[in-house]
Order: sequence, then C-alpha cells, then structure tokens
Amino acid sequence: MKKNKRLLQDSRTARTVRKSRLWASRAMVAALALMLALFGLFGCAQPAQDGGADGQAGEQDTPAPSAPVVELQAFAANSLEKALPEVQALYTKANPNVTFADTQFKGSGDLVAEIEGGAAPDLLITASKGSMDNAVENGSMDEGSRRDMFANDLVIARAIGSDTKINALTDVLGEGITSIAIGDADAVPAGQYANQALFTIGAYSDESGKEGSYDAAIEPKLSIAASVGNAAKYVESGDCQIGFVYSSDIFRFPGIETVFVLPADTHKPIVYPGAVLKGSANAEVAADFLAFCQNDPEAQRVWAQYGFEVL
Amino acid sequence: MVWRLGALVLLTSALVLGASSVAYAANEPAEPANLLPPAEISTESPVANSAATQTTETTEPGTIEVSRNGTEARGDNISFAVTDFLRSNKGTNKTYNNHSFGYRYPVAGPNAFALVAAESALVVYVPAATTQTLGLNFDEPATQEAFKKLIEEIDERVANGNLPLKTLTAPFIFTSEPSFTLDDCVYQFGVEVEPGYYYVSISADSNASGAVSGSSNANTNDPDNASLSTVAHYVNSGMLVPASDVVIDSPPQGVAAVWEFFGGIDYRPFWVSLRTSLVAMIFVFVLGLAAALYSLRINERLRAVLDSIFTIPMVLPPTVCGFLLLVAFGNSTGFGRWLIDHGVVLVFTWPGAVIAAFVVAFPLMYRTARGAFESLDPNLGDAARTLGWSGSRVFFKLTLPLAWPSIAAGTVLSFARALGEFGATLFVAGNFAGITQTMPLAIYFQWMGGHTEVATFWVVVVILISFLFILFINWYAARVQRYRQAGADIDQDEVCSCEPHSSEARSPEARSPEARSPKAGVR
Repeated sequence: MKKNKRLLQDSRTARTVRKSRLWASRAMVAALALMLALFGLFGCAQPAQDGGADGQAGEQDTPAPSAPVVELQAFAANSLEKALPEVQALYTKANPNVTFADTQFKGSGDLVAEIEGGAAPDLLITASKGSMDNAVENGSMDEGSRRDMFANDLVIARAIGSDTKINALTDVLGEGITSIAIGDADAVPAGQYANQALFTIGAYSDESGKEGSYDAAIEPKLSIAASVGNAAKYVESGDCQIGFVYSSDIFRFPGIETVFVLPADTHKPIVYPGAVLKGSANAEVAADFLAFCQNDPEAQRVWAQYGFEVL
Repeated sequence: MVWRLGALVLLTSALVLGASSVAYAANEPAEPANLLPPAEISTESPVANSAATQTTETTEPGTIEVSRNGTEARGDNISFAVTDFLRSNKGTNKTYNNHSFGYRYPVAGPNAFALVAAESALVVYVPAATTQTLGLNFDEPATQEAFKKLIEEIDERVANGNLPLKTLTAPFIFTSEPSFTLDDCVYQFGVEVEPGYYYVSISADSNASGAVSGSSNANTNDPDNASLSTVAHYVNSGMLVPASDVVIDSPPQGVAAVWEFFGGIDYRPFWVSLRTSLVAMIFVFVLGLAAALYSLRINERLRAVLDSIFTIPMVLPPTVCGFLLLVAFGNSTGFGRWLIDHGVVLVFTWPGAVIAAFVVAFPLMYRTARGAFESLDPNLGDAARTLGWSGSRVFFKLTLPLAWPSIAAGTVLSFARALGEFGATLFVAGNFAGITQTMPLAIYFQWMGGHTEVATFWVVVVILISFLFILFINWYAARVQRYRQAGADIDQDEVCSCEPHSSEARSPEARSPEARSPKAGVR
C-alpha cells in the first residue's frame, strides 16, 4: 500500500497502467498456481481409482485385439444390483484378464432407452422378456446370444417392524393400506408384473400391465418409482406403507420384509433374459460371462443366496 | 491479492488432496485392521467370562454370537459351532451333463448339515460323519435345542426379513439318512452334482401313488419339476465344527468403526466432481468472458437474441439441457450418429459430463461478466485507445482488472454450479463410478441403493464445500470493498494535496456520469 501511495504522485493513467501490470503479473501467478493444482489433481486422481473402472481409456477405445485384457460393460436390471457384482468378481477370479466397468443397474426400460440413445455396453440383462424384446426389435441386441437366465418372485414388502398385514391381494385396496410403492410400468418390469396382478383384482385396466390405467380405488395411494430398488427404498424409509418388489429385493434392502408373496398365476412368469449387444467388441467374452452366470456352481450359490432361481 | 487467491486455491487443494489420499491409503490397511484380533478379544472376553461364571453346569444355551457376514455362529455352553453358513433362498432345475437332479439347492460343502424349510416340517440332515466326529447325538432334545438356537440366530441375520426360520411353526425333524421322504417328495442330501459342489435335491417320489414320471427324464419345462421349486421355502446349510475352532469377529467399536467407515467409502466421486468442474470452468471462464465482451459490441436486436440463448440454460430445468444434449450427441439423431461415426462419442462418457457442467455453469459466468463490463466507464477504454493502446491491451490491462472482483465472484459461483450439477449430467453422462459419477449423483444413487450413511457423508461434504465457497465470496467481496474504499480515500488525499493537477485529471471522469446519462436516456 505504501508503495502504491508513492505511485499516486504520478498521473492517474500511469497509475492505472502500473496497477494493471501488477494485476496482470499476479493473475499470471494465480493462473500458474491453478495449473499446478490442476496437474496435481490429475496426477493424484489416477491412483485413487481402483482397478475396476479405469477412467477414459477403457471406456472409449476398445482394447487392441492383441491385448488379452478385456473390460466388460454390463447393463443389468436394477434388482441384480447386489448379486451380479459378486458373480462378476467370481468371473474375474476365474478369468483375471476380464474386468468389469461400473455396471449400470437401472430400470430395464431405462437401460433399453439408453442403449437406443447411444450407450454401448457389451451385455444387457433385463427383468422381463418384454423389455428385452424391445431391445431386440430396435436392433441393439445379437439375438442369437439371448438366453433366459433367472426367475424371480413378486412380493409385497413392508418396513421391518411395521404391523401391516396382507392376507390376500385384495387387501391392498382396503382402508388399512394408505400408500403403495410401485414401479413405473413404462420402465420398470416389476411395475408391469404388479399391474398384471392388480388387473386380476380389477384395480388396473390392462392385462399386459403396461398400457392401462389404475382404478380410482387405488390410484391415490400409489407412489410411482423409477426402479424397483426405489420402490423398495420408499418402503424402507417409511414413505410408503407397502411396495411391490421382487423377493430378491428383500435381501438387498435390510429394512424391508416380505408380507405377502403374490401367487405365480397372478402375473406373467418373471424371467430375466440376457443377451450380448450387436457389434460388441467383446462379444465372445460377454457371451461366455452370460453362460458362466448360469452354469458356474459358485455363481449358482450367489444367485441362490439372493433369491434368484437359475434357469 | 490475486496471487493470494491462487495460493489459497493451491493450499486448499493440497490440503484436500493430502486428506483424502490419507483416507484413501486407509482403504488398504482397513481390511487387515478389522481382522486384527486384539479388538475382538478385548470386546469379547468380558462377555464370555461373565457368562461362564454365571452358568457353569447348565445345558441351557446362552447368548449366541453371529459373525458380521452371517457365516459363523457359536453360543455359550454349546459344544459345536456353525461355519460356512449358507441360506439358499432359491434353487435351480438345471440339468448337469443332461442329468436332472430335480430341484436342487446349493449347500455349504461335503458333510454339510442341511435344513429344508418345507411347509409341513423343517427337515434337518446332519451327516453321520459329523455327529461321530463331534460326539453329538441329535436324538437328545438338548442337542436339538442348541442346534435350533444357533441356526435360528444365524438365519435371522441372513434372512434379512425374508421369512426367518424363527417365524416358521412347522416341527423340526432330525435325520442322518442321506435320503428322506416327506409328502410325496424325496429329499436327497449331500448330492455331488459337479465335482466338489454339493446340493440338496428335491424330486418327486416315484414310489408314491400320485407321482408321475421319474425325475431322471424331467427338464425345466416339466410342470412337476416347476412345482418342486415351491416345496421348500429355502434350504439352510453349513458345517458343524467344535466350538473352540470358531472365533467370532465382533464389529469394530469407536475409532475402529469410524476408521472402517471412512476406509470403505469410494472417494472417486469427489475427484470426478473436481476434475469435471475444473475442466468445465476453463471453458466457462474463457468462453463466458468472450461471449460477454462480444455481446456488448453487437447491435441491440442481435444482442437480445444472443443474450437469451446464452442465459437460457440458467432458467431451463437441467433435465431439458440434458435431453437436448442427448438428442444432439446421441445415437438417435442423424447429427449424433454422424458425430459418433466420426469418433466423437460424448454420450455416457466423461467429456459428456464436462459438457453438461459447462452448459449449466456458462450462463452464470456470462451474466456476471457482462454485468461487470457494462458497469465500467466506457470513457476509460476510449481514453486508453487515444493513448495508443491496442484492443487486447485495453482488455487485459484495463477492462479485466477493473471488472475482476465481479468476474472472480462469477467464477466461484459458476464453479459451484458446475460442482452441483445433477440432472443434465445424469442424462448425458450417466452414472459410471469413477468416470462420470459426481458427488450429487453419488448422493442419489447411494441413497437409492440403500447406503444411507454414505449418502449422508457426501451430503456433508457438499454442504461443507458450498459453505466454504460462499464464505470465500463474502470474504473476497468485503476485501475488495475495503481495498476500493482505501483507494477512494487516497484519491481524496490526492485531490487535496495537488489540486490543479488532479482536477485536470479528474475532469473526464467527473464529467462521465453526465456524459453517459443522456445517452442512456436515448436508449
């Protein structure tokens, strides 16, 4: 400041010029510092990423054919979120050259839409035949690689410790039930299965569970969830009294329990088809992984634990 | 002042870097750390001691300890313990080498005990080899009771609310025969399907009156086989070993628990957020300033249009921006496909996240920079030009320094906005851990995935960062205010000390407000 004061004896313009020179040099120092910090970030960010998904390189370029290292990108139904990573770990253990990029677990309909929108995973596992059919129809999947992988059950869940009772499906229409979490039928197969079940008691207008509308008796109670996991979460957090989820979701979310298992004849069989994407650079490995999921005895244990019936 | 700003940035980033690399390094030793025996012994032994002193000769089973992963259980006064516990909630009809095994549930291994939770009974198979080795007799009610207690506790841990054993009312049946018939179904225990892998298989009883074809030619589509899957709710299995062989790991307490929690967190969202925002900010800063300058130099009507275009991402929901970006760069449009064919893959990649952050942060930078430039006295620039300054020199040495406080605030604000970006990022870049999963995405997906505590951690981190940002802006604004105030005071001194000179120098600036106001009036 004192130095500035002396400068002030000069004319205003000169002062501004000197001041701005000072500013400029300081700005340069600041920019340099920022750049240094930036490089530091990039340098240190690298080791922070563990082997599973390594940044850009693996994501954008497919590995050269000579390189034995393969990174598979899987898209899988939301309900597989806990079980599939364990099976992937088993596969990596058996085939150390194959790793998995961060697998996307979303509503099957969302995954199909993302693939249509430009996402290019190596394999897709959906929670309904219908969503896989859509993916096949829009030309994304290699149809020959398609296989039915797992079966699951639809249940009504409540929060642990809740005293809600459901003895028959029609009970959900009763006054005792005030809020119901249900998957969005457009994107969430669990929602479609639930709607099919609701159709049998006249609470939904369409047998396929997808195109219809809800009866006025149940509609105000419904909370539409973007994935079956979200529906489970609504129940777990107490936002909804009950929710339509898979029996396998009960093992995924520690805070919910089964209150009613929907009879198998109330909805279409819950089957998870898997397939390799058309044009996948790792098609063979991806197909091998799909087969491994079903055939490996260690993998079968994982599925058994999480409540998936291997087909 | 600016270099101090730079130093501050450097210092904070170094601090954060240091802190989180330490935390990350903790990730590795965290695993062995929680296996260290001292903590277990210290927490466990008092319980064991007190229990032992209370009941020495009672056969009544006491407290049951279950390991955290739900695979081991032991109890006070029970001579055996359970290891490798496995609850098979579903089985499979799959054939192996074209041979059907009925509906089979994986079990823990050879000589594993198995509990089939059927509707009418809970059938428990304990291999004769195991009972002999352990010297147990499962005909004794005490042994049965002890076994039940152990299994019920461990099952409750693993069942997670899905039909716990405790809630089943069917009677227990103990057997050591590898084959057991109940309700027209044959339960076969210890079936080795693949070498080294054992199952409990449930098949239709071919001797029973109602039984259709034998199980050997059945396949997955066989309705009989399909109904076999509903015979049992689930199958529990595990190994029985002497209690002395099992040490239960107790959950870490206090500091160890905190250490484990922070060691177990994936810190990549922080780095992804920082990297994405910083790279986006470089573009936002340069292009925002350029756009602001440019918009001041063009004619009114064009400016109005451009201004709306530059500002609209600020008022649009981020999902709309995301949707438009997805349409522009995605596979579903001709343009997007053309880009993808030419190697520009932006959707669901990190550059996509940068673009999303850029689009939402740009308007903030542009607006503040434009406001700052507009508030400058245009005569200053004109005066500099009459002194022969080039356009770029005027910008870098006059305009930019004078507008700097506002621009700095705009930079920090738009950086914060980029850091908080959620909707457009989710749309365009998806949620790929370590690549495009930023902190806001991590909060949402961790919460939805059932990891509320991790989500809470990120919420706290984001609140802290935002708080620091606002604190910094306020501090910086106050500082600039003081600085300018000081400058104004000096101007006053100057006016007093050398009046004739300064009044001459002041005249253009003093005149400027009047000079500008009629112009503004015309506008």
